[in-house]
Amino acid sequence: MIAMPKPDPQILARRQAIAAQLRTLLPASSVIAETERMRAYESDGLTAYRQVPLVVALPETTQQVADVLRWARREGIKIVPRGAGTSLSGGALPVADAIVLGLGKFKAVLDIDYANRTVTVQPGVTNLAISNAVDAAGFYYAPDPSSQIACTIGGNVAENSGGVHCLKYGLTTNNVLGLEFVTPEGEIVRIGGKHLDSPGYDLLGLLTGSEGLLGIVTEVTVRILQKPETARALLLGFASAEQGGDCVAAIIAAGIIPGGMEMMDRPAIHAAEAFVQAGYPLDVEALLIVELDGCAAEVDHLIGRVEAIAALHGVVVSRVSTTEAERLRFWAGRKAAFPAVGRISPDYYCMDGTIPRAALPRVLAAMRDMSAKYGLGVANVFHAGDGNLHPLILYDANVPGELDRAEAFGADILKLCVDVGGVLTGEHGVGVEKRDLMEYQFDAVDLEQQHRLKCAFDVDLRFNPGKVFPTLHRCAEEGRVHVHRGETRFPDLPRF
Amino acid sequence: MTEFSNRLRPRDEADLAELVRTATGPLEPIGGGTKRMMGAPVEATPLDLAAFNGIIAYEPAELTMSVGAATPLGVVERELEARQQMFAFEPMDPRVLLGSPGEPTVGGTVAAALAGPRRVKAGGARDHLLGLKAVNGRGEAFKAGGRVVKNVTGYDVPKLFAGSWGTLGVMSELTLKVLPAPETERTLILDADDASGAISLLARALGSSHEVTGAAVVDGRAAIRLEGFGPSVAWRVGALLRELGSPDAATLEPAASRSFWRDVRDVRSLAEAPIVWRVSTVPSLAAAFVARVALSAQLRVLYDWGGGLVWLGLDAAYEDLVRGALAEGHAMLFKAPAEIRARVPVFQPAPSGLADLERRVKASFDPDNRLNPGRMGR
Amino acid sequence: MQTNFTTEQLADPDVAASEKILRACVHCGFCTATCPTYVLLGDELDSPRGRIYLIKQMLEEGKPATRDVTTHLDRCLSCLACMTTCPSGVHYQHLIDHARAHVEETYRRPWHDRTLRALLAFILPHPKRFRVALLGAALARPFRFVLPPGRLRAMLDMARDVPGPDATDRDGVFPALGRRRARVALLAGCAQRVLAPSINAATIRLLTRHGVEVVVTGGCCGALPHHLGKVDPSHELAASLIGQWVAELDGEGLDAIVVNASGCGTQVKDYGWMFRDDPALAKDAARVSLLARDITEFVTTLDLPAPSQGSGLTVAYHSACSMQHGQKITREPKALLQAAGFTVREPLDAHLCCGSAGTYNLLQPAIASQLKARKAATLAATGADLMATGNVGCMTQLADAVGMPVVHTVELLDWATGGPRPEALGSR
Repeated sequence: MIAMPKPDPQILARRQAIAAQLRTLLPASSVIAETERMRAYESDGLTAYRQVPLVVALPETTQQVADVLRWARREGIKIVPRGAGTSLSGGALPVADAIVLGLGKFKAVLDIDYANRTVTVQPGVTNLAISNAVDAAGFYYAPDPSSQIACTIGGNVAENSGGVHCLKYGLTTNNVLGLEFVTPEGEIVRIGGKHLDSPGYDLLGLLTGSEGLLGIVTEVTVRILQKPETARALLLGFASAEQGGDCVAAIIAAGIIPGGMEMMDRPAIHAAEAFVQAGYPLDVEALLIVELDGCAAEVDHLIGRVEAIAALHGVVVSRVSTTEAERLRFWAGRKAAFPAVGRISPDYYCMDGTIPRAALPRVLAAMRDMSAKYGLGVANVFHAGDGNLHPLILYDANVPGELDRAEAFGADILKLCVDVGGVLTGEHGVGVEKRDLMEYQFDAVDLEQQHRLKCAFDVDLRFNPGKVFPTLHRCAEEGRVHVHRGETRFPDLPRF
Repeated sequence: MTEFSNRLRPRDEADLAELVRTATGPLEPIGGGTKRMMGAPVEATPLDLAAFNGIIAYEPAELTMSVGAATPLGVVERELEARQQMFAFEPMDPRVLLGSPGEPTVGGTVAAALAGPRRVKAGGARDHLLGLKAVNGRGEAFKAGGRVVKNVTGYDVPKLFAGSWGTLGVMSELTLKVLPAPETERTLILDADDASGAISLLARALGSSHEVTGAAVVDGRAAIRLEGFGPSVAWRVGALLRELGSPDAATLEPAASRSFWRDVRDVRSLAEAPIVWRVSTVPSLAAAFVARVALSAQLRVLYDWGGGLVWLGLDAAYEDLVRGALAEGHAMLFKAPAEIRARVPVFQPAPSGLADLERRVKASFDPDNRLNPGRMGR
Repeated sequence: MQTNFTTEQLADPDVAASEKILRACVHCGFCTATCPTYVLLGDELDSPRGRIYLIKQMLEEGKPATRDVTTHLDRCLSCLACMTTCPSGVHYQHLIDHARAHVEETYRRPWHDRTLRALLAFILPHPKRFRVALLGAALARPFRFVLPPGRLRAMLDMARDVPGPDATDRDGVFPALGRRRARVALLAGCAQRVLAPSINAATIRLLTRHGVEVVVTGGCCGALPHHLGKVDPSHELAASLIGQWVAELDGEGLDAIVVNASGCGTQVKDYGWMFRDDPALAKDAARVSLLARDITEFVTTLDLPAPSQGSGLTVAYHSACSMQHGQKITREPKALLQAAGFTVREPLDAHLCCGSAGTYNLLQPAIASQLKARKAATLAATGADLMATGNVGCMTQLADAVGMPVVHTVELLDWATGGPRPEALGSR
């Protein structure tokens, strides 16, 4: 059960007037205020939570965004930014008395600069579309979240999205060079550009991953890379997760940073194999996919070394892709793991903690106990190189009580991640989902300092309210905060 | 290191918090003191962080290293070398250019965001700082980020601290990402007609799939570094030379290559210049920028980061000339006597909207402007 | 996705089927990215996920469709790109079909919309009526400038010189030349035989030349009224075809039912589902669907001989949505063209619809023309000599926009194996 800020009844009562005012700032087709139509915007990729927004606004230009935000500031109206609505943490979940500001119409690729290896796009351009735009010249944009076909670069910036290749190539924050954004006050601000580093504070780094709490991104400049000459993958099966984990550690200790290194546990292997028949061994406890990319000389050299390391760590199944088709087949099961689980269970709840890899056996064992305790299945996929764990908790939303159990199970898993020295979220963001666990990872002073940063940008706390931070108190004058104790908690909001 | 009679020496984090909380005037956090002659001069009581010295946790297989802020960089790098690992952002040693005393520390290196040639491939200090403990200007100890390599929990506060020059908080502990050190390296040296031609060669190399980790123009020639596993480097050297149309160009063997890039990293070629600017710009605009400055001033130049980083050695500040000639990017007065750094904004001033946000960010950590006031002109 | 249907609602087999489809959706949003209308309009209501929401709401509440819901559902092209993208196997096709039928039953459209739809459903499935209508429109065409841009103008724009009926434009049996290897039925079709009789002619030549006896049967497959939500006329047309084919099947026998318009092929392959609850036709419909083949699927089994000499031409292959998404046929047409000596190129964003989509270009001209321009530009950018596709709707949509001759894949295969040079190529 998650609680959202209590809606302001005066704002709710003004819905139609607010929509009418918005129609003076935006084309009529860009303002949606009928409940029936707004329902399509009531949720994102985390369907456990739903809320019909106050109004949906779909501006087409940066100036329109600024106009809307200046007006919203005067009127004291809250804003929930939205890209493609693929967040798995409820980052784009609407709030009853807030306008959903969708950037679906910002779809232009503005500049491709091969000499400086940058692309500048509007925020509604999808992650994959950036790579497609430069594909003919052999380039690509490296971060590749699983939803890359649909998720937008604006959303990637907001969430600091990762992907299977981010151990070697970095997260969004390591690949974004410049932003244009509009502040909650309606000011258009540019930071960074095609050059590196900042003359002042690294606001680019701060905005990236700020989950829509600090501003609305209206333009993004990213760096692009030439595609690796070739890539090959190994499929390694182990009789225990511990051996698999040790093998990963040994690969890294040998100085090898693979392009991708993914692990699946037995339930995930079985679900994926049943779905796509990737040829995975079904009698292993852990399956490791190690992808090596680069020039053929390097890839061939490292394949041999990884095979040797795996042999030393008790590998029971070891296969090397010899063709591109085979490499893709190795990946097919991993890439389809989420939907595959979706086919064996009506609903699943995807978690996203990061742990020090050495803690993997302990975490998996504890998860098995929790699975028995809550009576719900769990399958694990794991970005093994960087310790980012994605347990998928299986439940059926149509069975009363199962969602509550799934959430309690999920919270236990994330607390365990923190207990072993890890963090609540590696790439999906805190959103609404993990908000109330923030106090488990950070103490009051840590959170207060982050809240003050929020106040530096959004003194009225109107941007993406109810997300990321568990408590709600006003910003003091001049960005200073004086309330430390006894802050009001969000009242409960019934979940649908 | 210069001794100060009024120097504050906190023993631990609680003591540090207490000292900041009860301070009656501005404070200047100091690690090794090698960068005290950088930034706008500060009148403040030195806050000596010597107690925060030592490796707290080093997990080679997890690719993380946690250290006290004042741990000497050299000590950490020796430890990393023993496990064939490194700070991939290739931190610069500012003493070569500045002639400053002392030992650079990890905290100071991160606070100054001094990344070396590998910045083009591996990112800067910002990209390798995973987490920290610090005391803000209110005297509150807090932590931010984490101790794992992949983390998006809460705002990325560590990014703000990289390059914040001690103005937001006093770091006591940092966790950095570490990476395997390359097995070997080679450097290609290619002739070019002029700087613009050399930068074009670098652009082609950086736009190739050969994973270039260093791209500089030294003495009018393009220098390109390739690192990695032996067979891979050997193959890529040949392939890249062919692609750039210079199959017979000179290459530097590993030892020579290492020393070559150490000099590029530390800008040794400009060590004698009294004034040094560090200019971050768009690579394809760099040569024209330098040409504009050269119309009115005698200069020495070193291009790194494929042309994206321009080091200018001058005999006077020429701030209007340098910043006026810069179409995109920003220019930092890296080395200059105190009286010039007091007069000329060392860090390029931001446009009003951005400057306002930066002031508010500073105030959110340090509302009374206690920490290094004015050091960044912000 | 969680659903809220009562037991009574679920007693309706159509609702039960839709509920099952809705439950499979995990709301991941992947489908938005490949939906042509979302790409153009940027509003999730004009994306599959948004429409699924609207449909879910409409069916759960069991109320008549509203104007808003109808607007967004009408904008769906039924291109089914979303089904290719969906990782969870949501059968959007059957969901939108059900929703369209619900709209048709419960929503009273404005009179002009109603009239136009009735007119299209009356004319298009019937070649004679269509030919007369086109002739009339051709006469009216000089006066098109007095019309506002919109549906009527779009209809007149479609009118062109109507070719006369081809000699093969008749039902009947076309015997195999030489030894008979197979016997197939060819769906004669409706609008296609009027707009481009050369396609059936080329199909018959190609098949008979390679030892296949061709039984030309039937008229409209029902797809046109089906996409207008007109269930009864659509089922009637389909039932008539099923009857004809089953008679052949049980008579001399058929090795396949060949369809050379992929829009129709998608429909015929779905007969089994359409009639699943019809005790009289369910079995026969399923038999028909199982035997249905796109012409390129069937020709692939024939192992055509290599052409004596290549044409040297480069073909931009445009995969119709009903081909690549509806029937998931992506490899065969290109492979056949390559084997026939053509260099094959594909446009960027090949997954996006050209805007033809049955009657869509007539009912939603604004969106259709944007999609057309986009597709034409990407096709032109291939630098090909001509464009080939496997659906007459796309041919009609793109013919005047791509700046190169437009032919059906089968016309090129016929030409490469001894048939006449396609007329559209002129004397180039």
